[in-house]
Amino acid sequence: MKPVFSLAPEVYGQMLDRLSSLFFTDKLGFEPDMNFYRDDQWLSDTAVIDQLNCRRGTWEISLLFAHYKTPMKFISRRIAANTCPKKAGTMAFYMRRLAAKDQRGTLKVDIADMNLTMN
Amino acid sequence: MNTKQRILEAAIRLFNVDGVANVRLQQIADETGISVGNLAYHFKNKEAIVTAVYEMLFDEFSQILSSYLLGPNLTEFDRQLMLYHSFFSKYRFYLIDLFEIERSYPAIIDRWHQFVRKMLMQIRKRLDYNVQRGILLQEPISGIYDTLTNNIWMTITFWMPQQVLKGEPVSESLFKDAVWAQISPYFTLKGLDEFAAEVRPLDLHN
Repeated sequence: MKPVFSLAPEVYGQMLDRLSSLFFTDKLGFEPDMNFYRDDQWLSDTAVIDQLNCRRGTWEISLLFAHYKTPMKFISRRIAANTCPKKAGTMAFYMRRLAAKDQRGTLKVDIADMNLTMN
Repeated sequence: MNTKQRILEAAIRLFNVDGVANVRLQQIADETGISVGNLAYHFKNKEAIVTAVYEMLFDEFSQILSSYLLGPNLTEFDRQLMLYHSFFSKYRFYLIDLFEIERSYPAIIDRWHQFVRKMLMQIRKRLDYNVQRGILLQEPISGIYDTLTNNIWMTITFWMPQQVLKGEPVSESLFKDAVWAQISPYFTLKGLDEFAAEVRPLDLHN
């Protein structure tokens, strides 16, 4: 018979234990588990601007994401902080470019899309 | 299916009816629908056919053992039982020829031993895993789950021949019932719920 690779019984037992413990930590996923991805997918179609706010001695960098078609749908997220304003500015610049779908900044929010009423 | 595979399938059919020792090359050739000369072209002697059949058998056995990867829970064990039933139905001659194989083909019996050890280990690990999950009770008497493991293995391996000896029907559902009957006395309430929901509804009137 052709020779086959075999594990020692103790090693095989340990392998089965590891496989069993995987099923405690790695559970089968369900479709609703991916909701976190679907819920945030609109962020990939947003115009992004960076904001710097001085708070408690540090410069906080926030990014404001506004959907380029429905700009009333927006979110502000605090990203990082730095004690030096110049460094904070540089960080904000590069983070905005990284986060924005359109890094050149041509994807802009049109004020007409906001449907503001002047009454 | 090529000629070689047809020869092996024919050999398995004949082994299941008459046993490995009683089957001649002429019979295998006739069952395949080829001449003995053509048969000899593919397998030079009966030992080569027996070895090839057992290679097939052990390949399929490996596939069944690897289904442990899908999970050690009750549903996956039920699925593995279905595979075991299909396997032991197809290779019924394993029992007819157990002692003949031990005498004439020691390499094959060594492989059998390896696979049986793995099978036993998997059953034991499934029990341990389900105790940890709260599906099975903690071992009520020390060592009882080792005995249970052995009983489950014996049921899986020898259930079909004992049904034939008793003149009783052989079916996958009866086979699974026989195995689950070994385990069900050790279910917790959570285990009973999971078994009823995911594997099979319990007959609550019994």
